[in-house]
Amino acid sequence: MTNSKKTLIRIVDLHKSYYDGEAELPVLQGLNLEVNASELLAVIGASGVGKSTLLHIIGTLDRPSAGSVLYNDQDIFNLPDTELARFRNQEIGFVFQFHHLLPEFTALENVAMAALITATSDKTVYKEAEALLDYVGLAERGAHYPSQLSGGERQRVAIARALINKPKVVLADEPTGNLDRRSSEAILKLLWDLNAKSGQTFVIVTHNQEIAQQVDRVVELVDGKVVL
Amino acid sequence: MPIFKNMKFEWFVASRYLRSRRKQSFISIISIISIGGVALGVATVILVIAVLDGVEQGLKERFLSNEAHVVLRLLDHSFFGNYQNRIQQIEALDDVVAASPVILAQTGVFREHTGTIQDVIIIKGIDPAQENKVTGFSALVQGSTDLLNSELIERARFIRDETITGGIILGSRLAGRFGIIEGDVLRLLVKLQQHPIDASLLIPDLANFVVIGFYESEIEAYDNNFGFIHIDAAQKLYNKKNLVNSIFVRLTNAELAARTARKIEDTINFSVLEGIPDARTWMEVHAPLFSALRLEKIATVIIETLIILVASFNIASTLIMTVMEKTKDVGTLRTLGSSRGNIMRIFMIQGSVIGILGIMLGTSLGLIICWLLSWNAVRPSYWYALVLIVPVFLQILIASQRAIRNKGGWKFAVGVLWLIGGGFALYCAVRPVSFVDLGLSQIYQMHLMPIKVNWVFVIFINALSLAICWLATLYPAWQAANLKPVEALQHE
Repeated sequence: MTNSKKTLIRIVDLHKSYYDGEAELPVLQGLNLEVNASELLAVIGASGVGKSTLLHIIGTLDRPSAGSVLYNDQDIFNLPDTELARFRNQEIGFVFQFHHLLPEFTALENVAMAALITATSDKTVYKEAEALLDYVGLAERGAHYPSQLSGGERQRVAIARALINKPKVVLADEPTGNLDRRSSEAILKLLWDLNAKSGQTFVIVTHNQEIAQQVDRVVELVDGKVVL
Repeated sequence: MPIFKNMKFEWFVASRYLRSRRKQSFISIISIISIGGVALGVATVILVIAVLDGVEQGLKERFLSNEAHVVLRLLDHSFFGNYQNRIQQIEALDDVVAASPVILAQTGVFREHTGTIQDVIIIKGIDPAQENKVTGFSALVQGSTDLLNSELIERARFIRDETITGGIILGSRLAGRFGIIEGDVLRLLVKLQQHPIDASLLIPDLANFVVIGFYESEIEAYDNNFGFIHIDAAQKLYNKKNLVNSIFVRLTNAELAARTARKIEDTINFSVLEGIPDARTWMEVHAPLFSALRLEKIATVIIETLIILVASFNIASTLIMTVMEKTKDVGTLRTLGSSRGNIMRIFMIQGSVIGILGIMLGTSLGLIICWLLSWNAVRPSYWYALVLIVPVFLQILIASQRAIRNKGGWKFAVGVLWLIGGGFALYCAVRPVSFVDLGLSQIYQMHLMPIKVNWVFVIFINALSLAICWLATLYPAWQAANLKPVEALQHE
């Protein structure tokens, strides 16, 4: 399935180090990875190996120390900050281990948020947000605030939020890491279903073996590099 | 341009952050405190400046209803002739309404029953008709202004066995001091004459004047020192036929005095023998007072600006707190594709809204207090105060009960604000602030709090406060915009 797809993201010789005073702490050391369009890719590895850092860099939330990330052969870190934000807004959806919903806003508003940044018509956005909430099975909870939702519900809202701008890539960082078994299964089912339906590319960082067994391809990170 | 960019999204987020965590309340307590700070600063500056402007205007009105706008004299105050021509020349100038000939001199008052000269008064010899055009003099006189042929003068001449030179209008306080009533005769020591036999002796030359009216200008300097006689009588008295020593000039606009004074000095020719002309404006005469007032106003504006500055620090710290509290949210918003600009604008809007609300509240508060103070001029009864205090008291009661029941702190704060505002209104109502309290009444006899709202200044202080508040939002907003998304997300 993967072989026929064209490459969407190409990561070339990626380095990322953190600095603690003078001491350099290298995390990613010359990482190379290609992600195909519509692929369901899992990144596994021991904790602290740089899975999340990789995900943040793919998601343009962080800049690499060296190396490049190419989306359709375009190096996104050459973009100015405003356009990078726009790119993130349009092309990338995030799902985190912790839902990161905005507590002051209702579920519906949280889902709509990313689209509202650039929207010209709020009405259309809210309609779409409602459809997405319906899709994740929370049609009735749109007016509720995050504090009024259960953990699984919050995570489903977070998934709906990631999808509002129909991004090409959905990046998930331990999406079920904080949930009980039943909620986890529901979330995963949702993700697989989404991937099958929309053809969006999913990169999931996890150390959950169950997830790793259900995806198209698994890569493992060891010492800041990809091993197959 | 970021300013013209559609900021719907930023408004959406910022307005939500202004609210408190409890969904039912409109605005958070910390926002209310910041708004209150700005409001107090703006309100006091508007109020204080309105009072200072009121004092200045009150003084100006009093001066201008008594005084000429320009007084032309010679530098040494000596007499000069040809004054009718000179008056015509002055009246021909632009902006001049009228000019009148005046003799100003000081003279002693001889008190018969003590046989002494205890007081020196200023004699102003005037042509009443001309003088009226220049100073509106007759409006301030109680009694007759016919200084030559009043009935009282005729009667005195008939009754008394002595020469009556003419009538005199006395300053009201002066008359009160002397215990003089209408029709009484005042003996003025005009000059000293050489004794016909012994040249080393000087004998006083007295002239008798009948008091025909009283002058009340509400300026102590006039009411306590001036006596008005006819210019003909004055010329006779001082032996200065066809001479005067001053020309009083009225202008279409008192503010033009300085310019016109210079023009008068240039236009009216005086020979070298006569002396150097010196045209003084009413502003120059009262320069020390007005410059003191101006200084006070400048100092007030500076101090009040500092207060607003302090209030703006309040806004800044509120925003910094909000940014700290919302760091994680900022991270999330960045994840969702908000640019730095988006984030910056969210917090700038939040701060600006606080500033604008504070400025609006402060402006209304200041104007309401101004209005209350000027309304106070009619000295309302205690009943009026009661009408005010009852709803205020009820409001406090309701607010405090609700605050206790709901633990709604902001309602308690509103109650406290009501208490302060109501208390102040009450204070104004039952205890009129008068010039007696301010110590000005002795000299200028302003019995009421003078209030003059200068709208240009109100707009200026609004704009200034807005600018200060806006500047105060810059740093926190910049700080929020430059949070690193990943670090912000992991912030606990």
